Amino acid sequence: MKKFMLPLLFVFSLAVIFFAPFIGAQKIPFSALFTGASEGPARILWELRIPRVLLGWITGSTLAICGLIFQALFRNPLASPDMLGVSSGAAFGAVIYIRLGAAFTFFNVVSGLSCAAFLGSLAATIAIYAAGNLKKNGLSEATLLLAGIAMSYLFGSLNMIIQYSGGYTDTFRMMRWSLGGIEAVGFSQVWMTLPALAVIFIIAFCMAPELNLFVCGEDVAASRGVSVEWLRKVLFLSVSAVVAVNVAECGPIGFVGLLGPHICRKLVGTEHRRLAVASLFFGGAFLVICDTAARILWSPEEVPVGILTSCIGSIFFLWLLLRGKHKI
Amino acid sequence: MFHPLQIITRSPKAPFFIAQGDIYLRKKLFEEQNIFDTCGCAENQRDNNVWRFFEVHGLSLALGGTQILDNISFTFNKGDFLSIIGPNGAGKSSLLKCLGRLYKEYTGSVMLDGMQLAAMPPRTIAQRIAWVHQTSSDNLPFTVREFASMSRYPWQKSFSGESRKDREIIEQSLKTAGVADLADRQLDSLSGGERQRALIAAALAQSTDILYLDEPTSFLDYRHQAETLDLIEKINKEQGITVVMVTHDINLALHGADNIIALKHGRVMWQGKSTDIIKDSLLSEIFETEFCSFKSVGQDIPYVTPRGLVR
Repeated sequence: MKKFMLPLLFVFSLAVIFFAPFIGAQKIPFSALFTGASEGPARILWELRIPRVLLGWITGSTLAICGLIFQALFRNPLASPDMLGVSSGAAFGAVIYIRLGAAFTFFNVVSGLSCAAFLGSLAATIAIYAAGNLKKNGLSEATLLLAGIAMSYLFGSLNMIIQYSGGYTDTFRMMRWSLGGIEAVGFSQVWMTLPALAVIFIIAFCMAPELNLFVCGEDVAASRGVSVEWLRKVLFLSVSAVVAVNVAECGPIGFVGLLGPHICRKLVGTEHRRLAVASLFFGGAFLVICDTAARILWSPEEVPVGILTSCIGSIFFLWLLLRGKHKI
Repeated sequence: MFHPLQIITRSPKAPFFIAQGDIYLRKKLFEEQNIFDTCGCAENQRDNNVWRFFEVHGLSLALGGTQILDNISFTFNKGDFLSIIGPNGAGKSSLLKCLGRLYKEYTGSVMLDGMQLAAMPPRTIAQRIAWVHQTSSDNLPFTVREFASMSRYPWQKSFSGESRKDREIIEQSLKTAGVADLADRQLDSLSGGERQRALIAAALAQSTDILYLDEPTSFLDYRHQAETLDLIEKINKEQGITVVMVTHDINLALHGADNIIALKHGRVMWQGKSTDIIKDSLLSEIFETEFCSFKSVGQDIPYVTPRGLVR
């Protein structure tokens, strides 16, 4: 059964990407794929739906793979990118940007809001990393994890201070940003996030043997010849940077990074090369499904997908936990 | 002129030049320290080689302000079966971790084949030294074969998969440890004895010439203790793999190991041939317990059993 899981996930993911753009408040016929992009339905398809689905897929995959790496790195099933300060750091950057009423674009490609969010999460990462490094006996996984959680609360409270001091419109914008949503117009955001996904997937795929050893514990990894401290630094920084790129575009989207790897583990086992591929396909498909649901459930109103992933994710996760016989 | 040993004990990074073959300095060190015969090492090796197979000089370790190990020196030869014994908290496991460079904060020198361990990259160390850790309760979510195949890591180039040779070595180690029929079972589903043999199989798959074992029998019943010791002896005698075993079980050390190093409070209390430790009647001092020893019919090596606290 586990042998056919990867091809199955691949087909599932492709099918989701193919069909999701045609579902929504505005009915779009399949023939719209082949007509020019100038007409009504075809224009919606090419400029809104397809970029949105692709962005959703990339975001889901990225978060799932990042979660997979973090869970192996910290030997902790609860580690996920949105928990470790990176997301709240991004939110902090975004909130300051909105509060200051700044408006600029970076080379006319990246919006100022994304830039600010990226800088915020980078600041959080560096702060966590420095805090972890301050300890005399090296950078341990527990220190990094706890520093991350502490930093996440610190930035969370700073966000609230700024939100509290802001006016109605500002506060509303800040709140909406921190809910997390996939809103794409055109393909520029897709091109922005795709390289980050490529980088983190290649890292996860190539470093699968090291990740397998990490899961068995620091001593086992070190005794098999893994440079534990160096690798921990590299993985922590690269995952944080990749998540930062993603959060900057989509806002913090919870639970995909936690839930994705766990479900993949149930489907394909604990070997990390297979898990990396499975997380790529599953994480993407999961978020696209959630986002499509967010578009149609209250149509014509839209729910930010961050709310939906947390809601569906937590219930589904609880169900998995209670019914599964495997230890997590 | 500074004393050569000072260089070694003061800084872990300085003595590279000694390791690289300043023969005069090393010979002088040998004569002055006279620490090389305490372990019953073979005489001829001393004449042929300037350095021993494995040398530890003035090893000290302090973690978080506490002195764990204090100025430990000893050597052992290729093919030896060395056992490090001592009461809980004596620093046995910490010593082993220093010898495998899992702890890097030590001062002093640890040399393998005349090379500082500190100067060797982790992969190279892992090609020489395999570990069976004290992982009784750890969650290892892999099958026996998967875990063994992970031991091939130090021999594989990055990004390359498992070669045919890797697979042969893995199968062979599973067979040697007698877990070939358990290969597809999850490690977490095995009994204590099976799990220990599986972990030893994984260490064998690493194709090293040294094997470190940390309390390999502490959670096993009598039969599985004997079984595990048999397996370790087989690996030592038949495959010529040098074994260093940390244990608090005196009988295990007496009956398995050739040489014993006894630690207490981070210092070496005694070192020598394993059978001599009974003659020197140091056991009660080391373990702070009264022991009595007895021999079963037809056996030379006695068994030791605790009688009560020293009063």
